[in-house]
Amino acid sequence: MVNLTIDGRAIQAPKGKTVLEVADANGIFIPRLCYHPALKPIGACRICVVEVKPGPPRPLPACATVVNEGMEVVTNSPRVEEIRKELMKLVLINHALECPICDKGGECELQDLTHALAVDKVDLEAVKLAPNHDYESLFVERHPDRCVTCGRCIHVCRDHVGAMAINFMQRGYFTELGSGVLPLDCEFCGSCIDICPVGALINKLWKYRARAWEVDKTESVCPFCGGGCVYELHTKDDRILRVRNEESILLCSKGRFGFPVVEAPDRLKTPLIKENGGFREASWDEALDLVASKFQEIAASDAGAKAIYGIGSARATNEANYLFQKFFRQGLGTNQIDNPGRYTYIRALRGLGTVFGPPEVSGVEQSTALPQPYQSPLTPGAEAKGSGFPFVLGHFDDLPKADLALVLGADVTPEMPPLGWKLLRALDNENFRLVLANPRPTKFDRYAHLSLRYKPGTERILLSGIFKAFFAAHADYAPALSVKGLEEFKETFKKVTLKDVASKTGVDEALIKETAALLAQAQAPAIICGTELLAQDKGEQNAVALADLFLLVGKPGTPGSAVYPVAEKNNSRGVCEVGVLPGRLPGYVPIPEDARGMTLPEMLDKLEAGDPAAPQAVYMLGGDLLRALPHRSRTEKLLKKVPFLVVQDAFLTDTAKLAQVVLPVAVHAEQEGSFISSDGTLGVLPAVLSANGVRPDWQIIGQLGEKMGYKLGASHPKQVFRELAQNMPLWAGLGPKASGPVMPGEVSGTFVPFEADLSLPGRRPHTLIVGKVLNHNGSYTTHAPDGTLKLVPRAELSLNPEDAKSLGLAAGDTAKVVSSQGEISVPVVLSPEMPPGVVFLPEHFAEPPVHLLTLNSNLVRVTIQKG
Amino acid sequence: MIIPFIKGLATTLRHVFTKPITLQYPEEKRPVAPRWRGHPELTVNEDGRRRCVACTLCMVVCPSNAIKGIVAAEGSEHEKYPVAFQIDLTRCIFCGLCQEACPKAAIKLNNLYELAQYDKNLLYLDIDRATQKKSELRMADWL
Repeated sequence: MVNLTIDGRAIQAPKGKTVLEVADANGIFIPRLCYHPALKPIGACRICVVEVKPGPPRPLPACATVVNEGMEVVTNSPRVEEIRKELMKLVLINHALECPICDKGGECELQDLTHALAVDKVDLEAVKLAPNHDYESLFVERHPDRCVTCGRCIHVCRDHVGAMAINFMQRGYFTELGSGVLPLDCEFCGSCIDICPVGALINKLWKYRARAWEVDKTESVCPFCGGGCVYELHTKDDRILRVRNEESILLCSKGRFGFPVVEAPDRLKTPLIKENGGFREASWDEALDLVASKFQEIAASDAGAKAIYGIGSARATNEANYLFQKFFRQGLGTNQIDNPGRYTYIRALRGLGTVFGPPEVSGVEQSTALPQPYQSPLTPGAEAKGSGFPFVLGHFDDLPKADLALVLGADVTPEMPPLGWKLLRALDNENFRLVLANPRPTKFDRYAHLSLRYKPGTERILLSGIFKAFFAAHADYAPALSVKGLEEFKETFKKVTLKDVASKTGVDEALIKETAALLAQAQAPAIICGTELLAQDKGEQNAVALADLFLLVGKPGTPGSAVYPVAEKNNSRGVCEVGVLPGRLPGYVPIPEDARGMTLPEMLDKLEAGDPAAPQAVYMLGGDLLRALPHRSRTEKLLKKVPFLVVQDAFLTDTAKLAQVVLPVAVHAEQEGSFISSDGTLGVLPAVLSANGVRPDWQIIGQLGEKMGYKLGASHPKQVFRELAQNMPLWAGLGPKASGPVMPGEVSGTFVPFEADLSLPGRRPHTLIVGKVLNHNGSYTTHAPDGTLKLVPRAELSLNPEDAKSLGLAAGDTAKVVSSQGEISVPVVLSPEMPPGVVFLPEHFAEPPVHLLTLNSNLVRVTIQKG
Repeated sequence: MIIPFIKGLATTLRHVFTKPITLQYPEEKRPVAPRWRGHPELTVNEDGRRRCVACTLCMVVCPSNAIKGIVAAEGSEHEKYPVAFQIDLTRCIFCGLCQEACPKAAIKLNNLYELAQYDKNLLYLDIDRATQKKSELRMADWL
């Protein structure tokens, strides 16, 4: 702590804080323009100048001056007030007086400052500059005549988003914000818009739709990726007008511009019942009665309740998923449920579970505090501790404390933007090392200290090489954790040679050795893996290999040292934790082997075999299985075989079209509930909009249960959350915005050998990777024509220009992509960064259906022809 | 005796020949003072377009909530203009704050004072009915 005085007031402040921060903390207002708490001090505007003694005779900027012992600061001397006023006049010389139509009016920092400093007239004159307005760019509009050249947007874009899309052009009085190209070609995260103190950058979705003071602000949580960003919904007249993250400003394009999906034109409004091959609209009572009677009929038949299968949803809230599993377990008395995360996220959890064991928590007690909404009624006691795989999963806020991150098979920013922002924070630390392994270049390659470009499908071979090099160089390395089976595990790499690994993976031997050396040195290594790795047929083996690696080098007690598997959707983690799994109750409590239900792939296999145990009815809580699962033609054929399919979805998806009954559901802003983000943070979702005839998932399940005579206790999401959290010691102490599990973990594990083989059979010349693009999440965002669909409106095949040349294809041509499973036609885009022989297609779109090509993995060998 | 009678007749006769002070309302209308505050209306430019840019400051300042429902739209030149604007004359208190707040001189109190109606709905002005029509209603000091 240091002692100083500000305006004569004696103040104690922590070391290293700036004068501005200390003044703010003590309620002393220093005018400022370019300073923003989320950014490092810029020091461009000099409005925050103060007199500092001892110090130079000139005034110093408060935002960039660190407090010292014995410092005397004067914030309001006539001299600094005169300087501020003069500076404001200089800023205002060329500022367009468009406040009545400027969308920033009312929340403009320049307006506020002009009032605060009582600048009533500008007696300076300068050449009027002709502004280069940018009206063409998508989502962002630029008004250079309103710019105050504070540089905030440039800093947020470069340091926090990592896009580096904008910078100043010209110098001095002629300085203006430029992007090099017009229209803007960037990530379209829009963070520059919300950090702009004035209206120089305008959100086009918000433009002219309301004045800043007219909106109601409600804190909510983003419904797209698993990042779980907390943001504010700004609503007026039952419509969302914009979303903002007031705290860190950062949101991605989906979060900021994806909300029009709520008003998508193809939203379902009424329940649909299939009759004579077509759908007819029905009342809620009629549709629910039909489902209830059909379910009762099947339960009473020879097949029994076991013949009804449930598929939960990673989009639905924890409460809806909890009631869903309760409907099956308590109502129907079976464990025939699963969720589509089986093809991605569950593989990571299973891999980690194999090595680190299932979660066990002890020392949890009933909380004595007054019950708060969405606060777990359990609390960890003084002796509380836990073990098992949830305790190696990391919190995003800790990632910047790691000193090494190994990113394997993850295109971090498209899959989960918040994780990318945290990686950029970690890169602030000069001792941090980033090792990036991916078959194709990603955004973080420019920051990576080591880039391993392996051939698609060779992840486990690469990892076996890393293990080999590790054990060769550090034969007596002692893991920080208590481990079992290390010697046997070492044995499995006896036959592995680095030369062989290098030739199979295409990664240089030296790079593998260097990676192993970095891993051995790391004091707080983090491992990040993505869906590109998990969606392979042997995704679980990949996860086991990574878990082994973390068991070897990980230091789970050290902040930042953790595993970060990317959860694809907002509640991918929650749907598993609340027990929508055939073999686990809420909180991953295991079910005896003989009572377990079928997994989703097993269910499909049974349908294919025509097994008598195959389900007579399938109840889906949402999700477009046809679009998300590999081998679409098979999935379609099998789902058509289901005699009675009930789909609860907001849209008439291809999967819903196969259903007998479709129940329209409320989407994120229309329903209350909670999500568990990828890092275990509880996000609470308030109901902001009216549901207009559709119903939230929890209510539909509750009403269906009521009609079938089950008491599910679905009175309100808050009540459901209380009941659910009461049953989950793993969630003890969890509350809104808290990250679980909160008790200290004691992690130990057993090394499990993995299969180091290539999971990409076939002979076709090109390898297709089916993956994700930045501006979409699942198929959800593709339903909103006003949202991010504008940025990426269709699927395009990314192809190396050399490959394209040899195939006779040019950008914009239509290519026919043929695999052993099927063929599709798709437009071509040339991307020089794609390695030769590797092509990429995004999975989000209905047309073309890329999963017609895949078999059991997101990788497939294909032949590309001119189509 | 007769004198007071003649005095009275003289007064009457004097008034027969002086100008009457009563106004033959409604045949005759009294011209109002230049600063008379009639009901608010949206003014137009020479080319007949509304001056309003839908900044909603009048709505904010209106103490009796007589102005509401302002909906803005973007024009071809990226200009902002209102597509909906409601003035509720049953609530208006003719204070003139809207006129004072308007940065574009787009809303003004006119010189109309015969506002009583048999049908209340006629007092809810939508954007078209709230727009100035008769140029003679403009006051001399208007823009």
